Amino acid sequence: MRPSTPIRHPQIRRAPARPDTSQGTVATRTISPTRPPAAPARRLAAVRRYAGRWGLIVALAALPVYYGIHDLVQGYQAGVVAGHAVIHHDLANLGNDIAQGLSNGAIWALIAIGYTLVYGIIELINFAHGDVFMIGSFTSVGLWGVFGLGLTTGALGLTWGLLATLIITMIVTGALNVLIERVAYRPLRNAPKLAALITAVGFSFILQNVGLLWRGGSPQSVPDLIHVQQTVFTIGGVQIQRGYILAFGVMIPLVIALGWFINRTRAGRAMRATAQDPEAARLMGINVNATISLTFLLGGMLAGAAGLVYALYQTNIWFFQGFKAGLIAFTAAVMGGIGNVRGAVLGGLIIGVIQALADARMGPQWTEAVVFGYLIAIMVLRPRGLLGEEIREAG
Amino acid sequence: MSELRARLRRWREAVEDRLPPRWNRVLAGVVIAIGIALPFFFPPTSGFMNATIIAVAYAVMALGLNIVVGFAGLLDLGYVAFYALGAYSLGWFGSGFFFKARVHVLVSPTQRTLAGVHLNFILILAGAALICALAGILIGLPTLRLRGDYIAIVTLAFGEIIGVVAVNGQSVPVGGGMTLTAGNLGISAVDQPYIPGIGQFNLLDLRPWYWLILAILLFVLFVNLRLRDSRLGRAWIALREDEIAAVSMGIPLVKTKLLAYSIGAAFGGMAGAFFGTYYTVVNAAQFQFGFSIFILAMVIIGGLGSIWGAVVGGMALGYINNYLIPDVLNNFPSHFGLNFQLTQVEFGIFGFLLVIMMLLRPQGLIPERRRKLELTAKIAAEDAQLAEVPGTAPGPS
Amino acid sequence: MSQVDAPAPPAAVALRAEHVTKTFGGLVAVKDVSIDVPQHAIVSLIGPNGAGKTTLFNMLTGLYRPTEGGIYLGGRDITRARPDVITSYGVARTFQNIRLFGAMTATENVMIGHHARMRAGLFGSIIQPPRVRREERQTRERARELLDYVGLREAVFDRLASQLSYGDQRRVEIARALASEPRVLLLDEPTAGMNPQESQRLTDFMRQLRDELELTILLIEHDMKVVMGVSERVTVLDYGEKIAEGRPADVRTNPRVIEAYLGRQE
Repeated sequence: MRPSTPIRHPQIRRAPARPDTSQGTVATRTISPTRPPAAPARRLAAVRRYAGRWGLIVALAALPVYYGIHDLVQGYQAGVVAGHAVIHHDLANLGNDIAQGLSNGAIWALIAIGYTLVYGIIELINFAHGDVFMIGSFTSVGLWGVFGLGLTTGALGLTWGLLATLIITMIVTGALNVLIERVAYRPLRNAPKLAALITAVGFSFILQNVGLLWRGGSPQSVPDLIHVQQTVFTIGGVQIQRGYILAFGVMIPLVIALGWFINRTRAGRAMRATAQDPEAARLMGINVNATISLTFLLGGMLAGAAGLVYALYQTNIWFFQGFKAGLIAFTAAVMGGIGNVRGAVLGGLIIGVIQALADARMGPQWTEAVVFGYLIAIMVLRPRGLLGEEIREAG
Repeated sequence: MSELRARLRRWREAVEDRLPPRWNRVLAGVVIAIGIALPFFFPPTSGFMNATIIAVAYAVMALGLNIVVGFAGLLDLGYVAFYALGAYSLGWFGSGFFFKARVHVLVSPTQRTLAGVHLNFILILAGAALICALAGILIGLPTLRLRGDYIAIVTLAFGEIIGVVAVNGQSVPVGGGMTLTAGNLGISAVDQPYIPGIGQFNLLDLRPWYWLILAILLFVLFVNLRLRDSRLGRAWIALREDEIAAVSMGIPLVKTKLLAYSIGAAFGGMAGAFFGTYYTVVNAAQFQFGFSIFILAMVIIGGLGSIWGAVVGGMALGYINNYLIPDVLNNFPSHFGLNFQLTQVEFGIFGFLLVIMMLLRPQGLIPERRRKLELTAKIAAEDAQLAEVPGTAPGPS
Repeated sequence: MSQVDAPAPPAAVALRAEHVTKTFGGLVAVKDVSIDVPQHAIVSLIGPNGAGKTTLFNMLTGLYRPTEGGIYLGGRDITRARPDVITSYGVARTFQNIRLFGAMTATENVMIGHHARMRAGLFGSIIQPPRVRREERQTRERARELLDYVGLREAVFDRLASQLSYGDQRRVEIARALASEPRVLLLDEPTAGMNPQESQRLTDFMRQLRDELELTILLIEHDMKVVMGVSERVTVLDYGEKIAEGRPADVRTNPRVIEAYLGRQE
């Protein structure tokens, strides 16, 4: 044993004999009665939590409330009669904006679910997901051509044609998503997160280029097959258009089916288990790889459905739409609570409303900034989102 | 296969051991000397010089982002924001854009007659660095408590917001009939740099531009090298490796992270100001998300956290993007009877490069010095483990 | 309760937690625990797994904020202080699962430990005037001294931390903690994974640290031989509460302690 050499450290000196400090203590002590809790620390923590959630809700409600009051007080121009503007003081305008926003939001919700499912299971932001949605739109429009769907197609032909388009598109985008996972993410599962994120971005660019080559660089208008803007009925001044029914008509069944699948089937249970704890899931005999692929498949399918709805709804497709939609949908997923499917739907609807209000009232050139401003606000006020679980920072 | 690789590696190390210890510095010196002498081998307006100038400017940007992502491990996907702010620093303070003002500091005789704010370019460089440093702090603040991927999203959001402000700034009045930006049309009458004694730069002679950006690169390189091996550089890497252990060892989280953001941003701003004056226009279309990814790709392909990697990555991608693809290889596909030009698949090639790099060589072309140590030390460690003394607990042995 | 900047009186107590509670959502990890660590003593904190020992450590070092209660370092209230500030006040720790900086060499890891005691700022780091260069050199020399002091072979000083053997990594962690010139050293299961000889050597080393460097040591331990051998006092936690405290011999025969370890009804 090497003789210990004191370190050449200014504080060291040979210590004198140490007094026995243990003698002063009672032999064994058990718990003393509880002192009243230190109020300030607990109150501050509670305040912060409430500020987070209510702060966010206030921020979200700000736009509708503000414009609602504006419409009621100052009124809005509902039309022109004999050269004079007709001013109404009701909430119909706001209602229309919100209805529009909700149905936009239904589309975002479908895409957001894909993000949230993937993040929940492998903690990866699938940057390419928005572009899978774009490919879904493109595929749908391509299939319309194949099936000969056009403005003159009869109702029956349209119904069957669109149904077939929906199914085929969903299969294509689902498969695409699974392919991306296999090629790009699986090999990097044990690599640092940055690597997978970069690969995701790389694939996003590849897909965008595919879209660019497929249909060129400018937005392409597509036939308005179902006459989306036609009002079906009116409630309290709010016009319910065909497009709204389409959006919800596709979203609601798909979300219900997904919910049933996740909660009632064995494969869905496997997904939930893997999302909670992949190692434990593996030990229980769950095929984690297959489960992850399944997650990507489902997410991709929903994105494809969203793509078809978008094409019918916007009557316009663009190779760059995926990037924009992706960011909006991701914001929605985060807002609702990443990893939480219900949260993704809620987030999608909320973001849709915010977007519609910003478009209509502030002008579409500012909408993006508004949506991203909300994203940052969520991150600051309540990173876990509205319905999410606590994000633990300390290890 | 790995046998062969191991043998090659051992051979390479044996050679490196025999070379003089100052090997790296000599190499660097030679490269810099070549860099300085380069313009003399090309005509004053050569396309290659143009591409080189842009490539060097990209290298400066990559060095800036390398501090944020490479050293400190903060996933910044909105670096374009600093490019924009740097360029607008030039647009605001080095052009006739604010036509109501008449400020002139150290500018050429011609520029002195113009309306607007005209500061000497070196002052603008400093100003851009300062503005971006502040912006970096503002952008970094919301991310301090967030996890890696969330930092990516928040910085991305900021980058997009700045882009939107750039476009819409043309309708934002700042008084006197002037607006914040000129949107997509752009601020076009920007000054060219003027160095008292050398004169005003112009685009008929690219040489002074080249030496200017080279000087900026050398400055940024110097700062990077100093920081990497300093107390602050170590603190950044510690935060990157293990945030909890780092703060437990006495590293102040907020201050250290914000320093990373602001210094990285400052360098981006300087490069942005240079781009602004070199491109002679500052318009909003230049500031898209794709640019952030572009710079990030340079850092990653070069080698995350590696200073020379950032330089190499920056220049390589700069050349590929501005020279190889548009000028040299653009008609490549037509040789195969394919009906498109290479610029049309730029995006896709770029994406493909990213994917390939991550799958095959995630540590980059020039791995961070420490990672390289890791690779070479593996062999030494294997040998050492055989010779290790049994019963090794802390305490004098 | 006490002023922040009052010069600490020659307190008999180096580190004190007073009625500290920590809850995570619905889970109470630590409940109303008070513990005194006398100056220059070696105190052990023991208890079954999940008893809240590491949580208590995390509160003592500022990683967690106590939900209720207070933490005091020699009279100074550090309950709400940041971890890096607490380190600068003189508290250092090691981790249960070694947390070295893998991308740095052993020497650099220890140099990091000295961060709070160095002065070089941003511009100092860039310009590197003689003062800064001297500081760097001294820090590096100091780091190597510390590595030598904990028994690391010089051959591996410049080896990446991730390449070191388990025992060497533990050494580097201790050296890194010492580099911050602490008054109080918190060791979280320092003998985990060691054989009896190594544990004995570490026990002796702890005494050496206390004597030569005037440290106060609080350690979490599972190895009873170490606990009995080195501690002047032992505190026992179970399910987040303190159930016993006193001399090692007394604690060992305390029926509640025995029950906590052996006879837990599920």
